[in-house]
Amino acid sequence: MEVLKEKVEEEEAAEREEAAERAERGEKTKKPTEVRREETTLTQEMLRDLERKLSEIEVSVPEKLLTFTKDTIDTSKLPLSYQSNTLKEEHLLQVADNFSCQYSHLCPDRVPLFLHPLNECEVPKFVSTTIRPTLMPYPELYNWDTCAQFVSDFLSMVPLPDPLKPPLYLYSSTTVLKYQKGNCFDFSTLLCSMLIGAGYDAYCVNGYGSQDLCLMDLTREVCPLTLKPKETVKEEEKAPPKKYAIKPPRDLTSRFEQQQEVKRQEAIKAEEENRRKQEEARLLEQENAKTDPLHGLRVHSWVLVLSGKREVPESFFIDPFTAHSYSTQDDHFLGIESLWNHKNYWVNMQDCWNCCKELVFDLGDPVRWEYLLLGTDKPFLSLTEEEDEGMNDDDDVEKLGKEDEDKSFDMPPSWVEQIEISPEAFETRCPNGKKVIQYKRAKLEKWAPYLNNNGLVCRLTTYEDLECTKTLEVKEWYQNREDMLELKHINKITGLNVDYFKPGHPQALRMHSYKSMQPEMDRVMEFYETARVDGLIKREETPKTMTEYYQGRPDFLSYRHVNFGPRMKKLALNSAESNPRPMVKITERFFRNPAKPADEDVAERVFLIAEERIQLRYHCRSDHITANKREFLRRMEVDSKGNKIIMTSDMCISFEVEPMEHTKKLLYQYEAMMKLKNEEKLSRHQAWESELEVLEILKLREEEEEAHTLTISIYDTKRNEKSKEYREAMERVLHEEHLRQVEAQLDYLAPFLAQLPPGEKLTRWQAVRLKDECLNDFKQRLIDKANLIQARFEKETQELQKKQQWYQENQVTLTPEDEDLYLSYCSQAMFRIRILEQRLSRHKELAPLKYLALEEKLYKDPRLVELLKVFV
Amino acid sequence: MNRLYDMEPRVMDDEMLKLAVGQQGPQEEAGQLAKQEGIPFKDVLSLQLDFQNILRIDNLWQFESLRKLQLDNNIIEKIEGLENLTHLVWLDLSFNNIEAIEGLDTLVNLEDLSLFNNRISKIDSLDALVKLQVLSLGNNHIGNMMNIIYLRRFKALRTLSLSGNPVAENEDYKMFICAYLPDLVYLDFRRLDDHMKELAEMKHQYSIDELKHRENLMQAQLEDEQARREELEEHKAAFVEQLNGTFLFDSMYAEDMEGSKLSNLPGVGELLETYPSGQPTPQAVHPPRQLQPSLTASFTYKDKFVIICLNIFEYGLKQQEKRKAELETFMECVQEAIQENQEQGKLKIAKFEEKHLLSLNAIREESELSNIETKIVEHSEDITALLNVLMTLEMQLVEQLEETINMFERNIIDLVGLFVENVQSLYPFLEDPLGRHSCLARPWLNSGCTMAQCRDLENHHHEKLLEIAINILEKMVKGEMDEDLPDDLRSLFIDKDTIVNAVGASHDIHLLKIDNREDELVTRVNSWCTHLLDKIHKDEIMRNRKRVKEINQYIDHVQSELDSLEYGDLLD
Repeated sequence: MEVLKEKVEEEEAAEREEAAERAERGEKTKKPTEVRREETTLTQEMLRDLERKLSEIEVSVPEKLLTFTKDTIDTSKLPLSYQSNTLKEEHLLQVADNFSCQYSHLCPDRVPLFLHPLNECEVPKFVSTTIRPTLMPYPELYNWDTCAQFVSDFLSMVPLPDPLKPPLYLYSSTTVLKYQKGNCFDFSTLLCSMLIGAGYDAYCVNGYGSQDLCLMDLTREVCPLTLKPKETVKEEEKAPPKKYAIKPPRDLTSRFEQQQEVKRQEAIKAEEENRRKQEEARLLEQENAKTDPLHGLRVHSWVLVLSGKREVPESFFIDPFTAHSYSTQDDHFLGIESLWNHKNYWVNMQDCWNCCKELVFDLGDPVRWEYLLLGTDKPFLSLTEEEDEGMNDDDDVEKLGKEDEDKSFDMPPSWVEQIEISPEAFETRCPNGKKVIQYKRAKLEKWAPYLNNNGLVCRLTTYEDLECTKTLEVKEWYQNREDMLELKHINKITGLNVDYFKPGHPQALRMHSYKSMQPEMDRVMEFYETARVDGLIKREETPKTMTEYYQGRPDFLSYRHVNFGPRMKKLALNSAESNPRPMVKITERFFRNPAKPADEDVAERVFLIAEERIQLRYHCRSDHITANKREFLRRMEVDSKGNKIIMTSDMCISFEVEPMEHTKKLLYQYEAMMKLKNEEKLSRHQAWESELEVLEILKLREEEEEAHTLTISIYDTKRNEKSKEYREAMERVLHEEHLRQVEAQLDYLAPFLAQLPPGEKLTRWQAVRLKDECLNDFKQRLIDKANLIQARFEKETQELQKKQQWYQENQVTLTPEDEDLYLSYCSQAMFRIRILEQRLSRHKELAPLKYLALEEKLYKDPRLVELLKVFV
Repeated sequence: MNRLYDMEPRVMDDEMLKLAVGQQGPQEEAGQLAKQEGIPFKDVLSLQLDFQNILRIDNLWQFESLRKLQLDNNIIEKIEGLENLTHLVWLDLSFNNIEAIEGLDTLVNLEDLSLFNNRISKIDSLDALVKLQVLSLGNNHIGNMMNIIYLRRFKALRTLSLSGNPVAENEDYKMFICAYLPDLVYLDFRRLDDHMKELAEMKHQYSIDELKHRENLMQAQLEDEQARREELEEHKAAFVEQLNGTFLFDSMYAEDMEGSKLSNLPGVGELLETYPSGQPTPQAVHPPRQLQPSLTASFTYKDKFVIICLNIFEYGLKQQEKRKAELETFMECVQEAIQENQEQGKLKIAKFEEKHLLSLNAIREESELSNIETKIVEHSEDITALLNVLMTLEMQLVEQLEETINMFERNIIDLVGLFVENVQSLYPFLEDPLGRHSCLARPWLNSGCTMAQCRDLENHHHEKLLEIAINILEKMVKGEMDEDLPDDLRSLFIDKDTIVNAVGASHDIHLLKIDNREDELVTRVNSWCTHLLDKIHKDEIMRNRKRVKEINQYIDHVQSELDSLEYGDLLD
């Protein structure tokens, strides 16, 4: 160490001469042991300087965000490792100072390194030791995306005190978690700790970001929830034409005309495209009009995840504020000063003229990345021999890293306490369980589950304009609703509400879209058809019609469409009853029933109720292009003689592809018509039932909306009152059991032993007497008990007899109430007597056994066993 | 049995049947209609003719779709006249005077047969009733237990009644039935419990095991037979049946008296291999792979001949596969084309139908006469347009299919031609890729794979035989013959002409056989080809006609709808 220091000093002395403007800095690094103090003063100096500058700029930051300062933190209760440095840490700080001073010597025009900020106890701590790799006990936190989302939700963001400089303080993650506030460095330190704990190759990065990034300003980002997932168009693979495939008919249209047409279309399209692009560019310009004067100077910290571990295919950045991942080429990241993990610290030696786009994240390459500590693993030493050799000649850089003393030196363990997140905090997530994010034309609000008593967990409001004044639509996500409501989508312009449900709604509802909850209005309901007996998939309603779609029914019904006519004038008398609208037309369609031949299998039937007509269309046979049709006129007519005409040939008009003999028969037609009549009745009934069901569902929905009860999992021990009660009851029972056990271990000899003089050994005589006394006593007790029961029994019997006597004497004069009273008394008394009887007999049975048991116990009693042995 | 013959037997005439049908047919309003129209016998599903004193079953041939027939409580003596009632499921002939079960051979759908209270003494002639579930034979004269074993063949039989027969008096009766008919559930209207079945099985275990063994053997034999027949069918379809063994060779010698005599000559036996004269050996399939290539030189005439036959056989099977694949592809493509065309047609019709309905309604609601007329004209134009469109589609399909069919025809004729030529060896076998493959794979076989080579082989053999015969004749003339020849053989060696004639006759017979086999193969393959093509053409023509008829019918219907509307309007 000494030698090297001297060496550096010499060098610096030499350099001082040639670079006058750098002299000041050289002085400061002259005595590296004192550098730390000096540097802090220097930074304070600079701070003052900056403060002055800042007062000129002064970004308008809300006041309350700045409250997270040292004053609010109670440092007295923090553990010792927070308040002081170990020897090893001291040593590390020395090394870091040395490194920093060499660095500033070699790269005088670069900003000083962010190496050892103060912690909450004003103790300088090296940044790598602030990272405390921890694997969280929550499965959700095992992957980087959910982990980052958690960090961004859990902490609220505080801007850096000076947006152009790294902070002076870097608090431990435990403190940050406790207060749920932090700047970008706090965010990335915590996220990095969790990611490294989960096995990722993650690094904290100190660099420069765009204004949006640094201030967590998402107003220019499109909300990810509003983006529609891109539909992947699957190209169907065309089977190669078969050998005997028919040739298409000759195309007789003009090729030239086609070409001209195509050209014309293309021209139009190109023009449109052009216009669209221009429009877009204009819009974009408008949006990006405000340029940042501090562009490229704003300090930011984020997380770099390198490929290799945990099957990460490509390195990427995570912005800890928003939890978004970016590629390393992203425009938001404008440069990197240094990066570190829990083991080492690397300084970027590459030029960031083109943001981070050309950086190579090969940390094993000492030309690109200058490392602080040697001897720790170099993750990406992928250099060729040549480059290695070429580097060895480069003594300038070499000197920095190759300090022999440091070779064996590795990073001391983290000074930070174990990072812990309580389950409550984990579930509540955001500070106070609520978080609002403003996106471009959208606002996202999040709540912790069970925070809102209607189960609302997330609300996305989309606006028409950038100023967010005109609401376009609102999407609300719910959780733990008893009615299984999952998402409510309200379109403010059309007034259309769409509710989505998870499986498990009592009416198997999947989706419900409506404008008003009034019946007989436009609405669509979709169902989980497997949960329904009738296989209903969807029911669409307009004021005049109702359409239902079915699937998987044994009668192959697939579709029913009902047209309603205007409601009849209601009679005043039966106003209480429902007055269904008259049905004008019912159309039903059926799937093909494979058990029937196609020309006997009805495909569609139309009941024209008003016209008393029934139209049938049959399925088409596989080798035909036309299908059978049949039309029945149901008009009842009377012939000239006044007889009812049952069936005539003009009541059934049919078209048959292959005319059949038996279908011409009137009898056949008559039977078919009778059957259809019945089925018409059935269909009308079913349609009526559907209407009723709609009413029922609407009522149910209204009730559910009103009640909005939440379900609580039986595994949720905190919230589930019932299980809590049960558990408490169980605990109580256990406790009582325990008490009883304690009681059972009572010493039955204790009262008798107490009579004897204490501290003396028992003689045999005494022992025998003791035993006898004990047994006698027990016998007496048993007899007493028997007597007691007997006495009670007798008393009860006597009373009953008296009462009976009284009853017989006064039977005539008794009121019915008195009689009732007497009777109930009798039955109770009888019950008591019976119980006493039973107890007595039981006692008689058990008493000798109990006596014998005690005797045996006494013989085996350790205090008496020696003395009583003879008698056994 | 103790029927009172106080009433005269009645004849089942038309009147009786009509009455029964009328009484048992539809009632009330439907009945009036039925009466008005009359019910054809062939539509009747169930018929009840009990207590009619019928002596002879007759006149039932019209009831083709009858499912249930009740003829109980008559005085029928013979089961007859039921041949046409093939859909019959339920037949009740109880309380008659039937003595033998007969005339039920066509009632394959019968499930429930009641012959209660008759005079039957033997259960048989029920073989055709494979679906039989309920058989009632109580109060008959069945006396032999062995009748029950006959019932084992009815796998679906669940209910049987035999009480009131002499068999039922046997004390072992129930046990015996339980043991031999384990699938039976109800016997004499009582359920058989499992315990009983177990007991019965234990009791009769040995005899049943034996019976089962025999039945299994029979079954296996039947299956074998079936498999062999199927294989032969397959070979026949490939036109190379019985070429996978010595069959052709054996048949060559089967009718050849001289040949079999000559084979006893010294030296000829080796030439022929140990060949049992006159008796065709059971077909032995020698796959050529079993023969070692190094043995080529020592192949006898028979071996070589059989190898050639086997080659032809294999080649035939391969060609058959090829033809099959070709046919399948063709059929698939044609089906697809027709399907597609039909879809188009359906679409057109569906579109038209919508329009049709609308314009019909419009005409109906139109009040002005001139407007009606213009609308009607417009609509009939639409109908013509539809007709044209549909017809164009059909014509287009016909053209396309014709082209495809012609292509297929060319290809299949080529295939067949190639097969025939290769078998006849008009072309060297090597030209065929398949043949080349087999020749390359087994170079020791390229000595012969065709009928022509068979003939060459035969000629060669003939020369050798002639040589031997003449040698022997010379020896005999010189008196150097040291072996004794059988007398009938010696009689051939009278002079040179006789022996040469004999050898020649044998040779001629052999050649004839080979020629016959070849001719058979060629004719059959050609006729198959012609039939196939004929059928395809005919089917296509039929399809076309049907479609044209369908289209015309539809157009007529639509037109008539329009016309009726016109008349209606005119009447109004």
